[in-house]
Amino acid sequence: MIPGSRLYAMLLIFFLCSVGLVARAVNLQVMETDFLQGQGKARFLREVTIASTRGVITDRNGEPLAVSTPVDSVWVHPGQLLEYPENIKPLAGAINADAEEIERKLTQRAGKEFVWLVRRLNPEVADRIRGLGLPGVYLQKEYRRFYPAGEVTSHVIGFTNIDDVGQEGLELAYDSWLAGSPGLKRVTRDRKGQTIEEAELIKESDPGQDLRLTIDKRLQYLAYRELKSAVLQHGASSGSVVVLDVDSGEVLAMVNQPSYNPNDPGHDTDGMRNRAVTDVIEPGSVMKPIAIASVLEHDLAVPATPVETSPGYTVISGHTIRDHNNYGLLDVTGVLTKSSNVGVTKLALQLEPQEMWDTYTRFGFGEATGTGFPGESAGVLRNHRRWRRLEQATISYGYGISATPLQLAQAYAAIANGGKLRQPAFIQGSNNPPISAIDPDIANAVARMLETVTTPQGTGSRASVANYRIAGKTGTSHKASASGYAAARYVSSFAGFGPVSDPRLACVVVINDPTGDEYYGGLVAAPLFSEVMTGAMRILNIPPDDYPTILADAGNTAGGQ
Amino acid sequence: MKKRAGIHQAHRGPRIPGTAQVDAWLLVPVLLLVASGLVMVGSSSIAIADSHGVSTYHYLVRHIIYVVMGALLALAFRGIPVAYLERISRPLMWLSALVLLLVFIPGIGRSVNGSARWITIGFANFQVVEAVKVMVIIYMAGYLVRKADTVKIRFFDTLKPLVLAAMLTGILLVQPDMGSAAVITAIVGGMVWLAGAAWRHLFILGAIAVPVFGFAAMEPYRLRRIVSFMDPWADPYNSGFQLTQALIAVGRGELFGVGLGASIQKLFYLPEAHTDFIFAVLAEEFGLLGVMFILSMFMLLVTRIMIIGLMAHKAERPFAGNVAYGIGLWIGLQALVSMGVNLGVLPTKGLTLPLISSGGSSVLMTFLALGIVFRIRYELYRDAPVKVGRVANTRGARR
Repeated sequence: MIPGSRLYAMLLIFFLCSVGLVARAVNLQVMETDFLQGQGKARFLREVTIASTRGVITDRNGEPLAVSTPVDSVWVHPGQLLEYPENIKPLAGAINADAEEIERKLTQRAGKEFVWLVRRLNPEVADRIRGLGLPGVYLQKEYRRFYPAGEVTSHVIGFTNIDDVGQEGLELAYDSWLAGSPGLKRVTRDRKGQTIEEAELIKESDPGQDLRLTIDKRLQYLAYRELKSAVLQHGASSGSVVVLDVDSGEVLAMVNQPSYNPNDPGHDTDGMRNRAVTDVIEPGSVMKPIAIASVLEHDLAVPATPVETSPGYTVISGHTIRDHNNYGLLDVTGVLTKSSNVGVTKLALQLEPQEMWDTYTRFGFGEATGTGFPGESAGVLRNHRRWRRLEQATISYGYGISATPLQLAQAYAAIANGGKLRQPAFIQGSNNPPISAIDPDIANAVARMLETVTTPQGTGSRASVANYRIAGKTGTSHKASASGYAAARYVSSFAGFGPVSDPRLACVVVINDPTGDEYYGGLVAAPLFSEVMTGAMRILNIPPDDYPTILADAGNTAGGQ
Repeated sequence: MKKRAGIHQAHRGPRIPGTAQVDAWLLVPVLLLVASGLVMVGSSSIAIADSHGVSTYHYLVRHIIYVVMGALLALAFRGIPVAYLERISRPLMWLSALVLLLVFIPGIGRSVNGSARWITIGFANFQVVEAVKVMVIIYMAGYLVRKADTVKIRFFDTLKPLVLAAMLTGILLVQPDMGSAAVITAIVGGMVWLAGAAWRHLFILGAIAVPVFGFAAMEPYRLRRIVSFMDPWADPYNSGFQLTQALIAVGRGELFGVGLGASIQKLFYLPEAHTDFIFAVLAEEFGLLGVMFILSMFMLLVTRIMIIGLMAHKAERPFAGNVAYGIGLWIGLQALVSMGVNLGVLPTKGLTLPLISSGGSSVLMTFLALGIVFRIRYELYRDAPVKVGRVANTRGARR
């Protein structure tokens, strides 16, 4: 045997094995590389959404009413976390939860790779969890909606759900405007789910657009505070206040009771309704000015035309319509001042049903205001062809017709605005061109007549605002129930505007179910109207216009010194 | 130049400073492989270190410490005359069996992932099978010297060392450590064959050994490994997981690699990224180029060790020659098997890549073995004028 021949054979085998390995490497790294890289990408490339911010909602002056702030949410990889069961206790401690419950929840989902543990944590809790650095526990940035004004603006603005989708109010109505579109990126992740690098941006996240409301936060707070205390004082079940800008139809304030905290909405859906828009009432006497406007419009009377209301009741189609007192001989103005059902019935029944229906319709009754607010109600105004005589009579003083507080405010703003009706607007820059509801002379005539209501002789004297001329009308209606009109359940309301010389604000107040002795609109709603208007005039710096009183006061003060 | 000066001196007289007698063909591949190992252990262990809550360079520092300790061990063994190793070679087979059994003694042995392969020595765990490999090689070298003539013709003399190896294999299969068992059996068989054992005897033994290993492979978990090795993509998230991840790593490397530190597969996708599967990470970061570099360094190293063995035989130092053969076989086999596993041509074994992988016992024992090879080479230099004349002359002639 040649010395070393076996050794050379051995080395040859090694060499051939090496060549074989190189061939295999070429096979893997050159020929199969696409397949293998594809398999790799399938394992470590993941598409992740990039959270986008929702637009900010501000009031008309730019005060934030709904803002999105970045917060951390915690998710876990159950398999990784459960590898170290001793880690569950500190985790539970950090988020203030029951360790056993977490363990149970994770054990049930042990096969999953992603389970939300807690969402939207306080920053300090998130920091604590970040500090723990437990394997299998991850933080994810999300945005949480905060409503700084809380229950004050909750009905108008609504709220979003945990996935940042609008659920109520303007958050719902303008969801697609406010919502950004989340971006998408491709990231490389290690096997434990941590992102190593961002491989590719597939789509940029688009932040949502901001929304500037017509609401004035100051007025909103004022109206809310006054409404809340009035509802409490009268033991009422609910209530609404709407303040409109007369010139533009913009909603300056809209509040309701009961309310809720939009930062933690809970499940009390009753308190979530924006009653000013979604709930209808039979308005009662606050409808009388519309009926009178129709009468004046058709030249059937002038403000000074005498109307006999004796003996304080009248019988129509076998039904008796009553006044509170026997007011005797009134003029048309006096019918409004005293809120005479008999007077307004006699006047209105001179109209053809269609004429009256037409006027009502032009003032926006029977159809939704068109704000697009979710759940907006249109109210009911039956077609005039089906009106019976009695029905026409009751509609003239606000029964047999229903309307939302917002519709009433819209109609009163039209009277204040020289007969030009503007669709109410929640958003700045809304397109709501004025529509003529009635001749300006007639609107002004009705306004002057309504001013008498807040004089000491009128039913709404408590609605007066010092140093301002205020026009308005009280309303007190029995609530309809399944068995007809309830004897002791009322809706107390007041609708009006001011200052009469150059109307700026229209305001409607509705108090539902006041308990106790006071239930008349003049006693329950009118004082609330006065409080809201007094504050609003001051906040908006509206110049006083009640010169005789101002001068008299000045004279008294001067004389006193 | 230094080396040539050394050889030149060797012609003049027997007394020469030992430090000058360093074989560059041996040293250069060792240094390059160790350097590559340091780079790859550093690169592949950072993520693992972070996830284990130790400092980023924990595993690198540990590896450096073992490399330094290994270098000292190599220096120490370079100082031990080969003749001394020959004297102690006889009882080493029994000693190695005893050492292997230590892992089963409670308090000393330690079990990791269901494998009892470690014993605790004070601060560190030692994988005894690495030492056993060296002991078996030295024992076999002595045995083959004693039976130099009869091993070629007597079946029993061929059989005996293989029976002893089978005994060790038996212990290793209980631990279980299939990879080391295969390597030891292959080293012993290879040494016997290189010593000139008759083909027919080896065929008979092979006919016995194959069914034994086949039976061991029938163990369900091993069978699963072998089946999944055949088609890892059939069940890539369970049995095929390691292998598919290794293949992905290699495939991502292409020709020139994704770059040092840029491996994604080492981020927990590839288990044992800094030990058993370090070659896959290397293939990912340095591509085909890196694969070929490491392979050629191993081939250079193994060839050189074998040539030193041949030189020793020609200088009539059969024990030293056998030891060199054994060490060459060991490093060559283990490197090929480890790389083969990483490239998916062999089922997963749990073998480290010598000189590259992190793993204290393997590093220490490989260095120790290389120290012995350097010693063999040194003794050949030292005695060159008298006994290695032809080799030295050849070199001299080339000059």
